[in-house]
Amino acid sequence: MPDGSQRERPDARSDAARRADHAGISKLAEDLLPALIAKLGSTGLGELEVREGDWQVRLRRPFGSGPGEGRRASDKPSRSQPGHEGHGHGRAGVESHRGAKDTSGSNGTGGSRGGADAADKTRTIATSPAVGIFQPGSRAASGTKIRAGDSLGTVNVIGVPQDILAPADGIVGSTLVEAGTAVEYGQELIRIELAAPAAPGANAEAR
Amino acid sequence: MFRRILIANRGEIALRVLRACRTLGVEAVVAYSEADRDSLPAQLADEAICIGPPDARRSYLSVPSVISAALVTGCEAIHPGYGFLSEDETFAEVVRAHELTFIGPPPDVLDRFASKEATRRLLGGYGLPTIPGSSMINDDQHALSEADRIGYPVLIKPSAGGGGKGMRMVRTSRELESAIKICRSEAKSAFGDDSIYLEKWLDDNRHVEIQVAVDRYGAGVHFGERDCSVQRRHQKILEEAPTPALSPEARAALAETAIRAVVAAGYENVGTLEFLVDATGAAYFIEINCRIQVEHPVTEMLTGIDLVALQIGIAAGEPLGLRQSDIVTRGHAIEFRINAEDPAADFRPGAGVIEQYHAPGGPGIRMDSHLYPGYEVPPYYDSLLGKLIVWGPDRPTAIARGRAALEELLIDGVTTNIEIHRALLDNDAFLEGRMTTNLLDRVGSAAFLAAAATAGAR
Repeated sequence: MPDGSQRERPDARSDAARRADHAGISKLAEDLLPALIAKLGSTGLGELEVREGDWQVRLRRPFGSGPGEGRRASDKPSRSQPGHEGHGHGRAGVESHRGAKDTSGSNGTGGSRGGADAADKTRTIATSPAVGIFQPGSRAASGTKIRAGDSLGTVNVIGVPQDILAPADGIVGSTLVEAGTAVEYGQELIRIELAAPAAPGANAEAR
Repeated sequence: MFRRILIANRGEIALRVLRACRTLGVEAVVAYSEADRDSLPAQLADEAICIGPPDARRSYLSVPSVISAALVTGCEAIHPGYGFLSEDETFAEVVRAHELTFIGPPPDVLDRFASKEATRRLLGGYGLPTIPGSSMINDDQHALSEADRIGYPVLIKPSAGGGGKGMRMVRTSRELESAIKICRSEAKSAFGDDSIYLEKWLDDNRHVEIQVAVDRYGAGVHFGERDCSVQRRHQKILEEAPTPALSPEARAALAETAIRAVVAAGYENVGTLEFLVDATGAAYFIEINCRIQVEHPVTEMLTGIDLVALQIGIAAGEPLGLRQSDIVTRGHAIEFRINAEDPAADFRPGAGVIEQYHAPGGPGIRMDSHLYPGYEVPPYYDSLLGKLIVWGPDRPTAIARGRAALEELLIDGVTTNIEIHRALLDNDAFLEGRMTTNLLDRVGSAAFLAAAATAGAR
């Protein structure tokens, strides 16, 4: 991972704590990091940082991404995100081909539904649970106060509506896709201003 | 012909179908899972649409997701490739219910050929020699009595699916009792159907299959056979044509019997009839594959006919436009399946980033692969990285070209089975065309490799 993650190492830990750590590492590796890297790739940002519980992760874009400068590391999570800089495809033609496509949502969040908008700890995004036709619900109106798990609308999959669930408590911001539009799985649909900034962990400065 | 189709598959076959679309002037939309976002077919497609997470059950195997993707992208037909939903008659039915075309046999034909056991009886009735087998097994007692009737050794086979999953050969009633449970659970998890049946096991058998194509109007041709005897636990790893196992007359007779039977039984679209051939050269029909097969390029190299384009045309309702006399096979072709698996570690599948990739070239060389440098092989799907197909005017030339091409082929970053192919091309049984389906499993693959290394050092 670019710059990796660091954590505190207490001298003695219980089995439970160790297991919790392992769970934390898996969650970090499988859910959070791909979403963050996707976010970094899709924005113009050079660096982003996020905290969750005891964890703190900072990602920095490999600048200019010269050979040997973490190419492989930055490649690793690329399965969840196309075309970010420094991706080392060696197939520029292919990359630009993709960029020219009209398929919406190629900067999806890598599917951790409602993956945190890591660039900004005050926002998150509800993403599409399926491929189909997007239909915002009454709770998708801008300014609506919502709770995590609320249905913000549906994606119609061959006649069967699938709920778009709010990933967090907050206030609905802008809707990114027009009603009646075809959307793909994982596509970003509705911005949400978080109710309160995510509480930083007790030892946020662990390093 | 269709204007626009959805490719509901991944990897090399998605790319192969995409290439057929380009040839036909058909627009291609690739449906991909999140794990395949960066894949070559997704990038080269006219449009690509994410249908779900990496878990195939929620993407490539999800009927609603695949059909929804076809509808929202304005496709008229769906190409299922092989594996996944390619032989699922329920899927084909739902495709039709949404006024889309399933590129493959129509649902009623798939339904008729869905059960291997019933298909053997059907085609047996049209003159195909079939291998002694049981009816569908109800319980252990039934299995034991059927096995006694057929005679050990017997092969336990799942009625649905293929690819060696849920299959096991047993030599005694005790082995049968313990294996049957395992086979049922493997079949259940692989195909969602735990029905099984028994088949007589022929020691030292060869696997020969006949490629056919039949249009909607009952015109059918065969494209000769392929020999798929080189297997590892019932999974093919190398295929060639013509088969060294049969004389030209026996090959022609088998192919003619096969095409007559499937036309009479009302088969439609491309398909493959698989046979076991015993030491005396007698062929027994075992099953029909109602899809394009992994090894179809072997036949394309011999005939010059694009089978995938033909498949799409037949599904679009076009007449075959070929008579049997139009099909001329020339020379000899061999396909090597290049898998991300470690022959030295019991073929454990691998995943990882392709650091370097170089495909071989030259006369008679074809590489069907979705690899590129920097591509990440995801861990979620089968391990096929590509297929190297070589052609020569005769078998020795094809083998020589195969050796050179395997030397040229460079795949760095994941462990592959290229070594096993190199070893095969140094193996006497293979070189003399005497290989049987137990060539690798009899000694174990590691031992096979070690023996080849010793022979090479001499």
